[in-house]
Amino acid sequence: MGEIVRYKRDVWGEEVILGVSWDLLWVIAVAVLVLLAAHAIIMAALANKKMDKPSAEGRRVLRHETIDRAFHWLMAASILVLIATGVAPIIGLRIAWLNIHWISGCLLTFIVLFHIVRSMFWQDFKSMILGPGDFGEPFDSAKKPGKYSFEQKGMHWAVTVVVLAVVVTGVLMFLQIDSPFWDRTNSMAEDQLGLVFLLHGLSTLALIALVATHIYFAVRPEKLFYTRSMISGWISEDEMAANHDPSRWSPKEAD
Amino acid sequence: MPATSHDVMPDIELYQPTDEENALALANSLGSDGWILGGGQDTYGWLKDRNKTPVAMIELTQIDAWKGIKETADGVEIGAVTTLTEIVQNPLIQSKFALLATAASKVASPQIRNVGTLGGNLNQDARCWYYRRGLDCYRAGGNICYADSPEGLNREHALFGASRCVAVTASDTAPALVALDATMVVASSSGQRLVSAQDFFVGPDRDITSMTVLNEGEILTAVRLPNEWANAEFYFEKVADRNVWDFALVNVAAAMKVSGGSIEDARIVCGAVECTPRRLEAVENAVRGQQRSEQLANQVAAIASDGARPLNYNHFKVPLMENLVKRAIRG
Repeated sequence: MGEIVRYKRDVWGEEVILGVSWDLLWVIAVAVLVLLAAHAIIMAALANKKMDKPSAEGRRVLRHETIDRAFHWLMAASILVLIATGVAPIIGLRIAWLNIHWISGCLLTFIVLFHIVRSMFWQDFKSMILGPGDFGEPFDSAKKPGKYSFEQKGMHWAVTVVVLAVVVTGVLMFLQIDSPFWDRTNSMAEDQLGLVFLLHGLSTLALIALVATHIYFAVRPEKLFYTRSMISGWISEDEMAANHDPSRWSPKEAD
Repeated sequence: MPATSHDVMPDIELYQPTDEENALALANSLGSDGWILGGGQDTYGWLKDRNKTPVAMIELTQIDAWKGIKETADGVEIGAVTTLTEIVQNPLIQSKFALLATAASKVASPQIRNVGTLGGNLNQDARCWYYRRGLDCYRAGGNICYADSPEGLNREHALFGASRCVAVTASDTAPALVALDATMVVASSSGQRLVSAQDFFVGPDRDITSMTVLNEGEILTAVRLPNEWANAEFYFEKVADRNVWDFALVNVAAAMKVSGGSIEDARIVCGAVECTPRRLEAVENAVRGQQRSEQLANQVAAIASDGARPLNYNHFKVPLMENLVKRAIRG
């Protein structure tokens, strides 16, 4: 088992943080694979006890506006590109990754800022707030959520924290390289730089785990209608009735 | 951690394979624990300073198959462990590819050329002193470039292609081989591949810890010079702080096909201005079809430095590069 934090000697010979140990990348990869595989096996074993799948036919209700769907997929693309280009040099792939990485990072930063503003003033921000009452939801099959389930809210806030950490540390790292907007000064103290690299690395590892988990649940049979709604915008009234409490979420009818 | 020179070699295994299969098997099995060397002139400093700590050295100079210069159907093949002195003195190289003979003659000192090999000269590591000192810079796997910091001394560093690291190629033979459109023969235990000289060297944008395309277990075994550029008009010039035993501040290697005073084709390459030999294709395009003259040289020299981004202390390289290109074109 390797270390978690890598250290180095700075120019004065003092020990400072260099960054995260990329051995953790493999630990995360294996752990996520094992956990998701275990979940898939358990769900398969319990499959007979589940209710019938609700129908996608019939009247439709709007779950995601077009602009929110577009930004979701843009965010997904930018995060996947960021992960791919960030991991490439770590696993020994020789590609000119840095420009692609920071351009994707700029796109993600813009999308995140846009989403923050839009969620606070144009979307139903309260629908995503995780309250004490939500924590009983997974243990009470009679209790249905509003627009977002406990798991969805939990995933959203976990991704929020991790993406904000990635973005803030990423911007600080971006300032350390040349770009069309500035010439680097390379003047950040080595101990601070190491801390930024460490936080960027740790948040990246967390993001990889979350993205893998998110993709896994997005393609699970019982959740596929949510993925469809992120493409087409709607879910059926039957799907809504089976998974949501109409008294806590009353969506518009879809076009 | 910057280490002090012990001035002696560390306790290290030494393998001296005498045949190709054995060498490739060793390179494959040792992987990153093995250090491949020719004459050792780039190696011993690293190891004596304990800034690189491989488990074993694989010394290739006992392999006869990778030595010597031979004429082939379509050019000349030079074994990677052929010494630079042999290249300088070889009649075939002198007569057909004098550019390489001249470039090799400018490497370091006679003593170093006597033991230094072509493969070693091409594969030598960056000569940034921060990196060589053992600091944990980007190239050493760290997260900072000391040479490109506000206090960094970067007189010898890059004008072009800096991507975090600003180190330059230190080889004198590399620009000549790119100008001659050479092909590198790269072998490993799983086979052989051919790489053009231009693609052999990689910049920090693609791989910040390596200067060539060689992967673990791969060895440069030979360099092939095509007849296409044999007996062309050549020009090589190296400017350094000392006339011997020094690395180039800038060097230029040019091969031109000239007929009736008109430049039919040209390949012009500068070294020590980027992490890889910098081929000046814009200059080549500008001179192609033109009469070779002082006037033409004056007109196109400035194109050579288009896109240069000097660091704090290497602005002088811009006019130096332009002047070397000017001299190469006027001949």
